[in-house]
Amino acid sequence: MDKSLHLDTVIKTHQITKEKNLLDKHIQKKNEVKEALENEYGGNVYAPFNSGSYAKNTAINTKFDFDLVSPFKRNAFGANGTLKEMYEAVYDFLYNKYKNDAEVRKQKVSIGLEFYADSDSAKIKIDVVPGRELNQDQYKDDENLNLYVYYKYGNIAADSERIKTNVQSQISNIKDRADKEKDSIRKIIRLLKIWKNTKYNYPTKSFFLELITIKAFDNITITGNLWNKLKAVMEYIKDNVTNDGFTLKDPGNSSNDLSDTLTDSEKQQLADDMKNMLDRIEENDENIKTYFPENPKFKEEDKSKNRYNTNGGMPVPPPKLNFG
Amino acid sequence: MILRIEKIGLSIEADDELLNSLVEKGKSHYPNEFGGFLVGYYADDNKHLHITDTILPKSFKTSIYNFERSTKGIEKKLGTFYKEIPRKFYVGEWHTHPDNSPIPSLTDISAINAIINNKNACLANPVLLIIGNSKTKVDFGFYVWFENKLYRYE
Repeated sequence: MDKSLHLDTVIKTHQITKEKNLLDKHIQKKNEVKEALENEYGGNVYAPFNSGSYAKNTAINTKFDFDLVSPFKRNAFGANGTLKEMYEAVYDFLYNKYKNDAEVRKQKVSIGLEFYADSDSAKIKIDVVPGRELNQDQYKDDENLNLYVYYKYGNIAADSERIKTNVQSQISNIKDRADKEKDSIRKIIRLLKIWKNTKYNYPTKSFFLELITIKAFDNITITGNLWNKLKAVMEYIKDNVTNDGFTLKDPGNSSNDLSDTLTDSEKQQLADDMKNMLDRIEENDENIKTYFPENPKFKEEDKSKNRYNTNGGMPVPPPKLNFG
Repeated sequence: MILRIEKIGLSIEADDELLNSLVEKGKSHYPNEFGGFLVGYYADDNKHLHITDTILPKSFKTSIYNFERSTKGIEKKLGTFYKEIPRKFYVGEWHTHPDNSPIPSLTDISAINAIINNKNACLANPVLLIIGNSKTKVDFGFYVWFENKLYRYE
């Protein structure tokens, strides 16, 4: 079997444009939430923006990552307001506004809004990421934000740390690389996300997969067809992610090491999964279809192989047949 | 008339002259059903079916809602078509639905299954043509059995 051909088909069946309806609904809902935040917080919030995979051009149609970053002013929650107070206040606002329409959940650094399925069974999920500028009115100059860590996030402890980052730099860094190297980096990122999506609640975040893919391309020579490239990135992850001293620099703040967003055992799980996949695909090419499946909703029949067939010899009709 | 099934990429062709003759035969038995055997050959690397002829049954029973045919006496004709170049053979069946739409009935689906399961029929993809005919109107419905499903040509 041609593994690269299969992978290309996998990517095609996961193209976000194939789910235009659902995409439009996400965009519309994201705009509604954005407007609600702006109405509620007025001059205390800069324009919320989307930072998910759609913004980075690495989206797949089985999971729409819509992360709405809300950059608050330093004093939005009082001159002495804490990041925790910011997070809780935004949660309370979103909970009261959407409790009848959605599940509102506290997540690692965001607040998840999972809207109940509409008449088309479409489920829309928007994650709101509250962030606060470092000093009053500084955001428009440096775009830096402090995020609050609600749940333990890999090696980053809950409630005890803040993440200082520049989300706009994160987006543009990944988007630029994915756009420039769309036949390599973008495709590999999408394939790894498709694999991650076959697992329930996998601890490795999409952002991690994006950064580690870019790091692999920067650190080793990756050439050949799509399968060769994917295999090289998977081998890089397997061989490096658990190494002491392995880091993933946050493009939004080089002091942040995003490898800390996974615990040691989660990194080991990622390395083991890569090894297992590589071994199973080596044993039997067909196994690639299990790890990297086509989206059945958009699977196209391979018409080129279809033929009329006789089973040999001169066909003779059955002696007696009834029609009605 | 050339029709296709986009989803599976197969096409079918039947000359107007042949179709007219089937309609005329159907009319001559109206308001009862009537039908026969379809003969043709596969072309274009077996992606295209050209229906060229029909063999009419010598022995049949018919009513307003039913048509039963037998193969008695048609063997010789089948053999003659098979010797032609290109080799022509039995590719399916046709029948009329008087004053009704050309949509397969459960009996028609059972007939298709009987063809698939008959080892002498040797046909993996039998074709079914239903002619919905009334005094003023004629509709054709061409179908093929492909991978456990009946597809209609459009």
